[in-house]
Amino acid sequence: MPVKVRIPTPLQKLTDGRTEVEVDASTVHEMLDLLERDYPGMRERLSEGGKIRRFINIYVNDEDIRFMNKEETRLKDGDTVSIVPAIAGGGWTACLS
Amino acid sequence: MALLRIPAEDVRKIIDHCKAAYPDEACGMLAGLDGSVKKVYCMKNAMPGPVYYEMDPEEQFRVMKDIRAAGLELIGIFHSHPSSPAHPSATDVERAYWPGTLYPNYPGVVYVIVSLMDMSRPVVKGYSIEQGSVNEVELLSE
Repeated sequence: MPVKVRIPTPLQKLTDGRTEVEVDASTVHEMLDLLERDYPGMRERLSEGGKIRRFINIYVNDEDIRFMNKEETRLKDGDTVSIVPAIAGGGWTACLS
Repeated sequence: MALLRIPAEDVRKIIDHCKAAYPDEACGMLAGLDGSVKKVYCMKNAMPGPVYYEMDPEEQFRVMKDIRAAGLELIGIFHSHPSSPAHPSATDVERAYWPGTLYPNYPGVVYVIVSLMDMSRPVVKGYSIEQGSVNEVELLSE
């Protein structure tokens, strides 16, 4: 079941500059395995201890997998998976006192 | 120094959004082309606090799609520092890179920070955070 995976700029070094790749995966977990097979280093960039890293958002079509079944979220033929870095930050804590 | 052009009315919109969230941090995105801001997105801080912001993942994705659909690009990310200077904090720098690397999450993006230390005189500054260094970007308000 081929699904398209959109690769964000910081990971395109691992895909030889490709912005989109295809994998035959039926779950997000399997997608990680196949991305690692085809583009070594991808698993470490995306996950830690089998879980998607904090500050990395994964969407299946328009849905955030955190609100689906996380790594066990099922994928079907024609789905598009987007990998998007979270946007976060914060002020200087030392200046609060 | 690199340059980001931003209409004065958009600067006011950003400051108003930041003041409305005070004492918590506020955030949003700047869409445009060729270093000129065309549209400001005032967004929700999904984890509001006085020294932290994190965009709501669903809203972030929706806005990024909206930007692309409008033929624009994400050229800036803004947030407030309610009680600290308009300079990237350690958290800002850490979060600008892919976890565990020095690959910028959004290459070319200008991080705009609004300091509300003096509420009557907000300070707005821009920075690039790439290749392990922080460099000020001139904000040209027109």
